[in-house]
Amino acid sequence: MNTKTLMYIVKRLLLAILTVWLVITITFFVMHAVPGGPFVGEKAVTETVRKAMEAKYGLDKPVISQYFTYLSDIVTKFDFGPSLKQRGRSVVSIIFDGMKTSSMIGIVAAFIALIFGVVLGSVAALRRNKVIDRVIMVITTAFVSMPSFIMGTLLLTVFAVKLNLLPANGAAQNGLILPIVTLSLYPMAYITRLTRSSMLDVLGQDYIRTAKAKGVSRTKIIFGHALKNSLIPVITYFGPMLAYIVTGSLVVEQIFAVPGIGRAFVNSITGRDYPLVMGTTIILAVLIVVMNLVGDIMYKIVDPRITLE
Amino acid sequence: MKNKIIAAGLAALMAASVATGCGSSGSGSDGGASGGSGAQEISVCLASEPATLDPALNSAVDGATLCIHLFSGLAKWDQDANGTLTLVPDLATELPEGVQNADGTVTYTYTLRDGAKWSDGKDVTAKDFEFAWNRAASPALAADYGYMLEVVKGYDTMWEEDDSGNLKNPDAKLEVYAKDDKTLEVTLNNDVAYWNELLAFPSYFPVREDIVSNDSWATDPSTYVCNGPYKMESWDHNSVITLSKNENYVDADKVTMNTINFYLSDDSNNMLTNFENGSWQLIDDVPTNEMASLKEKYPDEYKVTGQLGTYYVCWNVNQDLLPAGSTLTGADKLKAEAEIRRAFALIIDRNYIVDSIAQGGQVPASSFVAMGLTDADGTQQFYQNAGSSSDYDGYYNVSADAYQSNWNSAIETLKKYYTYDEASGKFTDIPSMTYLYNTNEGHKAIAENIQGIFSGIGANMALENQEWATFLETRKNGDFTVARNGWLADFNDPISFLDMWTTSSGNNDVQFGKGANADVAAYSIDCSDLGVDLKVENGTWADTYDVLLTKIKACTDDNTRYGLMHKAEDMLMETGCLTPIYYYTDIFMLSKNVSGFYSNPLGYKYFMYCTIQ
Repeated sequence: MNTKTLMYIVKRLLLAILTVWLVITITFFVMHAVPGGPFVGEKAVTETVRKAMEAKYGLDKPVISQYFTYLSDIVTKFDFGPSLKQRGRSVVSIIFDGMKTSSMIGIVAAFIALIFGVVLGSVAALRRNKVIDRVIMVITTAFVSMPSFIMGTLLLTVFAVKLNLLPANGAAQNGLILPIVTLSLYPMAYITRLTRSSMLDVLGQDYIRTAKAKGVSRTKIIFGHALKNSLIPVITYFGPMLAYIVTGSLVVEQIFAVPGIGRAFVNSITGRDYPLVMGTTIILAVLIVVMNLVGDIMYKIVDPRITLE
Repeated sequence: MKNKIIAAGLAALMAASVATGCGSSGSGSDGGASGGSGAQEISVCLASEPATLDPALNSAVDGATLCIHLFSGLAKWDQDANGTLTLVPDLATELPEGVQNADGTVTYTYTLRDGAKWSDGKDVTAKDFEFAWNRAASPALAADYGYMLEVVKGYDTMWEEDDSGNLKNPDAKLEVYAKDDKTLEVTLNNDVAYWNELLAFPSYFPVREDIVSNDSWATDPSTYVCNGPYKMESWDHNSVITLSKNENYVDADKVTMNTINFYLSDDSNNMLTNFENGSWQLIDDVPTNEMASLKEKYPDEYKVTGQLGTYYVCWNVNQDLLPAGSTLTGADKLKAEAEIRRAFALIIDRNYIVDSIAQGGQVPASSFVAMGLTDADGTQQFYQNAGSSSDYDGYYNVSADAYQSNWNSAIETLKKYYTYDEASGKFTDIPSMTYLYNTNEGHKAIAENIQGIFSGIGANMALENQEWATFLETRKNGDFTVARNGWLADFNDPISFLDMWTTSSGNNDVQFGKGANADVAAYSIDCSDLGVDLKVENGTWADTYDVLLTKIKACTDDNTRYGLMHKAEDMLMETGCLTPIYYYTDIFMLSKNVSGFYSNPLGYKYFMYCTIQ
């Protein structure tokens, strides 16, 4: 790795920190500007109880001073505070619990999408205009155009209700299979189409023709030359794909009742659980920023022609 | 006596619903342990992750259901051989009558049963109760339901504030004492009709000082020490809580269900899927749009039981309703607006709302205090004696037959204040209103129905929906004209519907006694017929309703007390600010393989005496 690349990474890291800080700041103030609070309910608590609760969690202080306390607690103590709604639990432990499930789903879904996408895409390209190509294209078009909440509900109805093969509840045994499949179908279909068109492009290049003319075997052409180069666009899709999986999990976790971070995030907002809103926002922001960075660096690794600056 | 009142009233409600559906196969009084047909295990889903399983901090119905399985207080709800719910002693040997003291306070003395143990094997002592009750009531804990202990002497002192809003007596304690390990003595401010019921409420469950000193004790099975029929086996957050039978429980031999899995989900479609494929035996919510078909598809498994609650519409007392140019002011204006609101209440078609929109077996409401709450004599329901008519229950006739005559009389009333155009059959100068509700398909459908009916007589009502937490704040601050509202009682006593409307109450959404009309003397109350010294002609809300409520709380005679509560509800209904729509029901689905299940009117569900075939 040369100094230029290193400089680039350092620059991107600093930018990433700035981005996350901006996300924290904006979320914090917008969140406090939204009406309603953590201690309201259909049955109102008395004024005295509410005051006691606010004092206990420091919510009686001005928002700006709460903001600085919050930042300094994170930086100096890595303390994201207690949950206001789930009394006795810390934000870190809630996020940790949620991430265990969510990251599992996300990583598996990403792998499935990548492997199946590249294989199907390559097959389609190599069997261009044959029946198999047509079938793959029709199916992937359907998957790409179907939003995850429809896909999820469809899979739920077919596999959990009609066939009763898999549980409908993400917490049950094998319960994560359906959410993983739901989450992986869209990126898989997208990667298939990306790989196919990029592979077709590469197969038409001069160096492939040269290799053929030199008598290089078909297998070697495909795996040694064509595949690697046709993966470049796929790699650029890596960042957006992870962003999709992270945001898509908000919906999918709701449909399949998966105890993940997406559900914690949604519930924290409706419940005005300020520290949990902040905690989940930060972790999602960090994830997306980091994944985009990793995507860019990998881009450089597969295509040496690209310079990072 | 008090037992009987509560029990008798519930009998009618419960017998008709739960018991018939599930059979009355043993309340546990003679149920053999675990049975021969293998391990007894049930999976149910009530709601999503509970906010807390600390009995003192809990304020949710699903949390309370978990608490009654994990803890054992002085009293509990039990189902007798006839399927009737009764309050019976749990850890107490008996539930004695209180002893009246010279100053009007009442002292109760309880003896704990032998062999009561915590799940870690230590003895449950009276000291644990003394500690737990003081903790539950304390400002330091600031529990939502801390006020459930306000009937205990010393509570008011505990919460007394000085002028700058600081606690005056930070070290104050409740008048509850452990005389020895087995004897607990508690003094109440006055005779409380629903005291035994309170003893079965989670806020009154014992906790141990050394356990709860750890703030996170109630979030982890390893630190969760309890004394009830079950102990916490595992808690997979947001996923499932598993309870297993607690062999240290004093009545462990009567518990038939060995393991309960409480799955945590708030998605009613997901719940239904799991119920239909047999994974879960009880689900506490069903998708509204499926109710009609489910009722037909699962006649034996679709359950509707009474719930102590009312769905209603509230009107902001400070919003003008009179047409522009009206010369009425002060008390005359308030009284005219009250009459207008009462007229609007008459044109709402409650039967249509219940049958075609809510579809959950709800009952059209004609009073604010819900169906299911009993009156002083213990045989009749409070709402049946409400209002002044002998022809129907409550404040107006909600039968479908009476709708047309209600409509006609409403139009006549409104004609007194607004210009009526005979040709179109509409009023021309009713000021525009806005109906506020929280974002939800069910609330929206009801709002649209009311909007349609109002526009039929020329009253334009815009609809505005807000997200839940925002909605609560808007409504509480009184920034609305008309708003959707609902109330579920904490215990079976009409006071829980009445004390929320005092001027200073945090639930006084209507803004009685506050804002522009705070000083308007438009209310009258006369309690002399009940022998109570309260008679005010044209007073403010604070002079009348607030004083009436203090009289009710201090009253020790059941008949007088219920008489006063009827007067309080009369006052509320007279203002027209509360327009009851329907009485809530609790809808759930229960597998027909399960027997021995029951639930109480507060919505708590009991699985300990269940068996599965």
